[in-house]
Amino acid sequence: MKPITRALGSIAISALAGLTGSAQAADDTIKIGLEIPLSPPGDPAAGQLIRRGAELAVVYVNTVMKGVNGGKMIELVVQDSQGKTDVGVAAYRKLATEDKVIGVTGFFHSSVNIAVNEVAKEIGVPTIATQTSAADITAKRYEPAFRTHAIDPIRVEAFLEFAKKMGYKRVSLVAETTDYGIGIAEEMEKQNQAAKAGLELQKITFDHAATDLTAQLLQVKAFKPDLVINIGVGAPVDLIIDQATTVGILPTTPMLVSYDAPERPQFWKLHEKNGVGIYFIAYYSPKQKLSDIGEWMAKAYKEKYGETAIYSSLNGFGDVMILAQAAEMAKSTDPKAIIKALEAGTFKTWADSPVTFPDAPGVYYHNWSPPILILHYTKPNEDWQTAEIVVEHVGGKH
Amino acid sequence: MFSTELLVQTLIAGVMIGVLYALMALGITFIYSIVKMINWAMGEFYMIGSFAQYLLVVFLLGRDFWWIAVPLSALSVFLIGAALEPILIKPMFRQALERKDEYATVVTIALLLLLRNLATGIAGPNQFTPGSNLGVVMLGPLPVTGARFAAFLCTLAALALFYVLLKKTWWGLALRAAAQSRIGAQTSGVDILRLDQIAFGVGVGLAGLAGALLAPEFQVYPTNGVVTTVKGFEIIVIGGLGSIPGALIAGVMLGVVESLGAAFIASPYQNVYGFLLVLAVLLIKPTGLFGERVRQA
Repeated sequence: MKPITRALGSIAISALAGLTGSAQAADDTIKIGLEIPLSPPGDPAAGQLIRRGAELAVVYVNTVMKGVNGGKMIELVVQDSQGKTDVGVAAYRKLATEDKVIGVTGFFHSSVNIAVNEVAKEIGVPTIATQTSAADITAKRYEPAFRTHAIDPIRVEAFLEFAKKMGYKRVSLVAETTDYGIGIAEEMEKQNQAAKAGLELQKITFDHAATDLTAQLLQVKAFKPDLVINIGVGAPVDLIIDQATTVGILPTTPMLVSYDAPERPQFWKLHEKNGVGIYFIAYYSPKQKLSDIGEWMAKAYKEKYGETAIYSSLNGFGDVMILAQAAEMAKSTDPKAIIKALEAGTFKTWADSPVTFPDAPGVYYHNWSPPILILHYTKPNEDWQTAEIVVEHVGGKH
Repeated sequence: MFSTELLVQTLIAGVMIGVLYALMALGITFIYSIVKMINWAMGEFYMIGSFAQYLLVVFLLGRDFWWIAVPLSALSVFLIGAALEPILIKPMFRQALERKDEYATVVTIALLLLLRNLATGIAGPNQFTPGSNLGVVMLGPLPVTGARFAAFLCTLAALALFYVLLKKTWWGLALRAAAQSRIGAQTSGVDILRLDQIAFGVGVGLAGLAGALLAPEFQVYPTNGVVTTVKGFEIIVIGGLGSIPGALIAGVMLGVVESLGAAFIASPYQNVYGFLLVLAVLLIKPTGLFGERVRQA
């Protein structure tokens, strides 16, 4: 036999052995899909934070719980959605059909989650929304769609409670033209009317990719609002804060950021002069009690990263834990069985309250929501953990 | 809502941002004039310029000496461009390539991906800012950050200096000769390949300068050059490929159209107004307002 033929044969045999080995390993592991933004135009900072929590969940399941379904280890398969719907859908397809994951979680951008759920409806592998709040994610009542995050109606309830408490009458909504931004702005208009809150609203929308919002913010300034609600995600949040300062809206007019971006370590580096006075939504405060697995996660996170875990990481942890528990409950990796377990079961997460996914009306279908907090920075370089809690809203009464 | 004050404010804002975008366009059009290729990675050189400015200001010079960091940042991008050109672009002319345009497109897009992913891997997902100690400046009724006003003035100065260098120096003469005819310039004794290297470096250096000047305004992160690149290409289509005055005038036109559209028509379609302007110009004058038809043998 010629040397080259021998060499090729050896390579082929090795490859086959490797494949067989891999297949064997694959049978012993349960794969969980994590679809997160890791590059722009998505919010990569959020994606990285969610990933940190998800990876710690894998460690917990494999080392503390010693696996699920008779000792099988879980494995995370990560895909980058880039915050784009087409990329997100392709990523979900790969996770569901090639990697054969039992569920896909980690979603941060509502647009991506909504698009993926249209495909999940057909393929049947369940999705758990980690930090997406658009109503359509669960309002469409697709069987595989689940969520463990605050939904727009509850977020907007918190906005209105805040406005009422502070006596604000004129509110500017500066919203990006994504499902998230438009969803919140429209929900605000709807609830303002339905609740007869009496707010005079101005809705200013902008392209998420815009780099200069001077024209839009000049319109806001001309409106003379009592409150500006900053409904951007990622870089636009900071752009609005900075350019609102330049045109003279901040610091005299209060600004409420619609999600927990100001908790991130980079916030004070970007806004050392104009970050004071900012209000922002949060879903967790260290003043709240954690569950036992939440306590484990908080400690492990601090040891590994030298920072306190924030909500994105906590919920990323929680969602992987929920899927692992569902697999244990179902005693199966079949997506249909996982969905049934998710619908019927009660799960542990980072928060002290258990998670269930009820068959409830409208947007509350398959939804669990943490309480919504509105925090307030009152001094420079303030730690979010000590920030004043202005509103603590528990919504979702249905 | 319409008001004269808002109109004046948006006009001023539009002119300022347009001039800043024009610097980017100038880099693109300059490279095209000399090297006869489109550099699709211009946004990444903008990004490198912004990171260089951030690093110099935050870790070395301090905010008060931002004006020293700006030319250093631009120079560093020039040197990177001049180092890359012989490796990536020179083969276009050295070897007998049949499809130079396709080669340039593939190589510069590959460079774009490489630089962007390298930056994401090194810098991570966060945004940075060098910050600025310059206070707010009132331009008529429009409050403008000191950083943006300084960037505007520096851009005008850079454009003026560029113009003088092109018109009054030997290098400028050589570059203009190469822009008119590469073979003619070569026949006259100009080292055309060396000129390509300088032109490429200068072109990307202009993008780096734009990045350095705008770093305090638009923040520093791995993909901050994407939008400015798109604006740059819009401008050269409006102004005409290869036209330097065209780049400035088109930049101002684009800035004003986008600003007025966002303020008085509908703000979410801010970027659309620019593309509508591009379409209108293409319909009326396909070579751009100051562009010329080129005959190729």
